[in-house]
Amino acid sequence: MDGTLVAPTAEAPSDADLVFDRLYRSSRDDVYAYVASLVRDPAAAEDVTATAFERAYRRRSRFDPSRGEPRAWLFGIARNAALDELRRRGRQAELTVEPADLTSAPAEESAAESERRLAVSAALARLEGSERELIALKFFAGLTNAEIAAVVGIGESNAGTRLHRAMTKLREACDGAI
Amino acid sequence: MEPFEDDRLVTALESLRPAPRPAFAAELDERAAAGFPRRPRSGGGLRDRLGARVRAMQPRRALVPAGATALAAVAAATVVIAVGEQEGGSPTQMHLDSTVESAASSPPPPRHEAPARLSQQLPQGAGLPQGAVRGLLRQEAATAASSAAVTEQLANAAGQLHSLAFADGAGKYALRARHREIERSAQIVLAAEPAEVRKVAADVFETVHAYRGIVLSSSIRDGAEGEAGARFELLVPSARLGDALAAFSEVAEVRSRHEATADITAPTVRTGEQLRDSRATIESLLAQLSQADTDGERAAAEAKLRAERRHNAYLRSQLASLQRRANLSRVSLRIETGDATSSPGSDGNWGVGDALGDAGHLLAVAAGVTIVGLAVLGPLALIAFLAWLGNRVRVRRARDRALA
Repeated sequence: MDGTLVAPTAEAPSDADLVFDRLYRSSRDDVYAYVASLVRDPAAAEDVTATAFERAYRRRSRFDPSRGEPRAWLFGIARNAALDELRRRGRQAELTVEPADLTSAPAEESAAESERRLAVSAALARLEGSERELIALKFFAGLTNAEIAAVVGIGESNAGTRLHRAMTKLREACDGAI
Repeated sequence: MEPFEDDRLVTALESLRPAPRPAFAAELDERAAAGFPRRPRSGGGLRDRLGARVRAMQPRRALVPAGATALAAVAAATVVIAVGEQEGGSPTQMHLDSTVESAASSPPPPRHEAPARLSQQLPQGAGLPQGAVRGLLRQEAATAASSAAVTEQLANAAGQLHSLAFADGAGKYALRARHREIERSAQIVLAAEPAEVRKVAADVFETVHAYRGIVLSSSIRDGAEGEAGARFELLVPSARLGDALAAFSEVAEVRSRHEATADITAPTVRTGEQLRDSRATIESLLAQLSQADTDGERAAAEAKLRAERRHNAYLRSQLASLQRRANLSRVSLRIETGDATSSPGSDGNWGVGDALGDAGHLLAVAAGVTIVGLAVLGPLALIAFLAWLGNRVRVRRARDRALA
């Protein structure tokens, strides 16, 4: 990600500011990808992403590194913001991507690859919400199993087991779609 | 199409990863650089904005205004109570002296201690003949009807208040009594020139005798201004206390005057009942003694009778003491010379001791207000904590439902 963040005041940035700056740089697109997967609305995803970073920025001094990784903390905030948005709208969380995204496939993509993407997208839509969320956290946001466990609020081994189970179901669903 | 292998599946998943619009990413970068200024929310009312501010407030920062608010509330309550007490109190106001009541209403000592304690509990005027006191009071009742009526009404009102304040325990006796036994006391300080101290003291003697009072002790000291003075410990018939104090006030300039009352109806009634019980017990023991057949039975009955008679004597003197306290009011009269501020202990001089006393009183009031406040706020805080906890669980479940 390009660009340099400038401290809002002339004062020297604190440690919390520096940590947050690094976190923002490394997580902006990941947070958006995860949130967009949850709310399935690009405009809402942008709003929720901005809200999540706002909240995280306001609470940056309360972050305790001894209690977990910064990315897990940030994605926890993003998760709550996204779920609050879903609650507010009364919509179901769906992790399938927008049709517009599917049509905006790379030009060099072969027909087989395009078909594979459609099959995976359709298979994702058939998974349960919690399973779809685990897959999004793993492959869209790039979190480790430990970070996923912290975000979702389960044990690390439990997170790995659930993720493996979700991937197995996804593969079976994709194979069934062929 | 070939079956999905893990790497192909992962590749396909990663290709589905949503990416932010470049314009949004740039806008977010700008906002991050600006420290994420708050966005204006369309349609957000005052309640939403206030809620957002409260949610955004850090707990540590919230503690400061919360603590300041609590401190201000305690200070305000303390001031209100202190001012209320000052407005409610005046030098001539009758105070309900609970210490006198509690001392008088304390249970009688064990019977074997009664004779020893009897002499300690008798006041200085206890040496007066009982018949003389009763005759004095009968005479006073006939001659001081008018002034006694007002004094009695005030005393009864104070007694009723006192009975309500001590409605539990001894108060139940007081509430049953038709006639109230009120103990009164007064302190009065007169000012005089050093050369006039003896004359004023003589006037005090005359006034005491005029109102059929008794001088328990007196001391007159000559000397320069500030040193000369006199002290009197007096007993004045309670029915004429008001008139006597008015007469004392005319002898010389009054520097201060303080009156206090204590309702001793409860201990008086209780002691009377105990005395009746004791008499009945003595009669019963006498009957046992007359019917005793053996020396052993006789000796046992006599021992019980001796103990009961000692107890009976103690109760009689206790009752007499209580009646004496109700019938005769103790008056401490002081004649001072010099400035009011130069006289130690006189009212009107507000010094370091008074300041410390006031400070202690204010601290006590503040502590009381704080305790009461905590007693009120504690359950409220617990309810608020439980509500917060419940809301948190509710929100978590709602989020899980939203995901499902």
